[in-house]
Amino acid sequence: MAHEATLPHLREVKGSGRAISSEEQALLTVQGLSVRFDGAPKDVNIVDDVSFSVARGKTLCLVGESGCGKSVTSLALMGLLPTPPARIVAGRALFDGQDLLTLSERERADIRGDRMAMIFQEPMTSLNPAFTIGDQIAEGIVRHRGISKAAAMERALDMLEKVRIPAPEKRLRAYPHEMSGGMRQRVMIAMALANDPQLLIADEPTTALDVTIQAQILTLIRRLQEETGTAMILITHDLGVVAEVADEVAVMYAGRVVETGPVEAIFEDPQHPYTIGLMGSVPSLGRRQGRLATIRGTVPPAELMPKGCRFTTRCPFADSRCANDPPPLAEIRPGHKARCWYAPLEEHRGAA
Amino acid sequence: MSAPATNDVILEGAGLVKHFGGGGLFSTPTIVRAVDGVSVGIQRGETFAIVGESGCGKSTLGRLLLRLIEPTAGDVLYEGKSILKLSKTELRRLRRELQIIFQDPYASLNPRMNVGDIIAEPIWLHGLASGRDKRERVADLMRTVGLLPTHADRYPHEFSGGQRQRIGIARALAGDPKLIVGDEPVSALDVSIQAQIVNLLEDLKERFGLTLVIVAHDLAVIRHMSDRVAVMYLGEIVELSETDALFDNPLHPYTQALLAAIPSPSPTHRKPKALLQGDVPSPAAPPSGCRFHTRCPHARGICQEQHPALEQAPDGRRVACHFWREIQGAGAGSISAPPPSPALAKRLAIYRTWRERQDKPVATSP
Repeated sequence: MAHEATLPHLREVKGSGRAISSEEQALLTVQGLSVRFDGAPKDVNIVDDVSFSVARGKTLCLVGESGCGKSVTSLALMGLLPTPPARIVAGRALFDGQDLLTLSERERADIRGDRMAMIFQEPMTSLNPAFTIGDQIAEGIVRHRGISKAAAMERALDMLEKVRIPAPEKRLRAYPHEMSGGMRQRVMIAMALANDPQLLIADEPTTALDVTIQAQILTLIRRLQEETGTAMILITHDLGVVAEVADEVAVMYAGRVVETGPVEAIFEDPQHPYTIGLMGSVPSLGRRQGRLATIRGTVPPAELMPKGCRFTTRCPFADSRCANDPPPLAEIRPGHKARCWYAPLEEHRGAA
Repeated sequence: MSAPATNDVILEGAGLVKHFGGGGLFSTPTIVRAVDGVSVGIQRGETFAIVGESGCGKSTLGRLLLRLIEPTAGDVLYEGKSILKLSKTELRRLRRELQIIFQDPYASLNPRMNVGDIIAEPIWLHGLASGRDKRERVADLMRTVGLLPTHADRYPHEFSGGQRQRIGIARALAGDPKLIVGDEPVSALDVSIQAQIVNLLEDLKERFGLTLVIVAHDLAVIRHMSDRVAVMYLGEIVELSETDALFDNPLHPYTQALLAAIPSPSPTHRKPKALLQGDVPSPAAPPSGCRFHTRCPHARGICQEQHPALEQAPDGRRVACHFWREIQGAGAGSISAPPPSPALAKRLAIYRTWRERQDKPVATSP
């Protein structure tokens, strides 16, 4: 099997039995995922050559601002992208040795909500207002476990207790509108975890919540993760949340991963100018330290996307090389990669 | 961090109360006590922040201070005079001086007007300029907030969220205001855009000598921008203090909980936290006594029965808690942000240097 590691691209994609040895503990390995939207200019993929992996029981945070492709990436993995307009044009996503992107619709539906589950930002729009909480949790259990409705309701009650909802028997018969935002998000989590998934994708799960409720939900997710060993991809724009929960981080900008590595490396030793600018943009919680650093302008629209590094238009360090040649996601230290020609900056841009 | 030493109050709310609702014809009335007996004095030239979780009444208070909604009881004094008795014309004249920036730049701009007209409207309304003067003034305002004057004939939907917020700010500035209320002015924006707008607001405040009232829930932004902070819970102010004192040593247990809930900004400083349990009770049926007692880890018998007054601490701060003296010193909730790592600090410094150069294009010769 070891020889396969050198030729990953030549491997048979369909039906390939197991992942290669270096990815042995990786539960999900995404390689070169590219998504195109119909009507977008040629060669501008909304998600472009995205690679990352998530280990069993660990948390990967996808960080980035609106439009960076973090949600599209997760929807592609879940098989929830509407086609058309979105098309997956390249890449593979090995989930426990199985390429998610080559599965039939039926096979996907079997995995979704069972071995892979997702929670969304706005719990009110993802819950059906016409059914009780209990019915909605039980639905997924009946679909995947093939047990009776009564047994599924039993399990739903267990789940409500697990996510620490007070008076769970009563809540089982409640409708979504009778609950607060924090409680609804707990219900979403209960629903997602009901079939003991191996992977949970959480898309901005606390963004709509107040800070004290956010702290409750993050603690809850962490505790459940310890109990169940579920791996998680957490999508967020909030660097504080990343610092709090991530094991690994992938920073995305305009559809590409620009920096990835263990959370300590990203926060202690950030390399990409976008990561550094982002950190300078967040006010410190300590005493004020002068004006905020800013990142100039906004993400360019698809038709104006630079040919080379997509951050060129906003980067203080960019030159013509950056504009024309896309830099590779190069390894800075083992496990820590950055997509910049001039990293580390102090060596290439320090004296000036 | 230069809080004005003088007691020069520009805008004052006195015993403000706002109740919403009342019953339908056949239902028992439910009254939401959005703001319940709030008194604040905003000093000239300061940045005053109002913070709290959703439903605490912070936005309502912001609107009451501008008389965008009528209070149920209480008074608002601008430059010492009540603005509640003003006639429509007088109030309109006053609107020039008191302005507001809204949270959602998508919803607060008229989609059928082009940007030039949106910004020119207050100028025309107050008869400040017309014809070419007006157009020049609009171009000036657009430059001031970092927009291209050539974009004056575009419509709001052609702009990004950050640019729309700039349009909203330009419009607020058009009438030469003295005081601007920002109702969550940056919370709908991406982090990098948020920093641009925060810096812009600070620049404008300095340049035009404005007084800012920022209504927000993001404590980091508040710490960065404001001189004084009022913390609200269920329609009441529970603590009012200078910003640094509040963050270094929060007195009220709710402030302590709020600060403790902020995610730690460094992955190496993760630690288990004492979390606030439960949700904010409904403002339609606030708890008896101290409104925070249902979630307070320090609550005792008296908290359920007696409503604590907003009393003055020796250092001039104000806090509404029966036991703040005993609770303080426990060190709960004070924020200790670790300094950035040497590598980050170094690269941030390089980044700032190059970033400044980026703003002054090509002009290398002085």
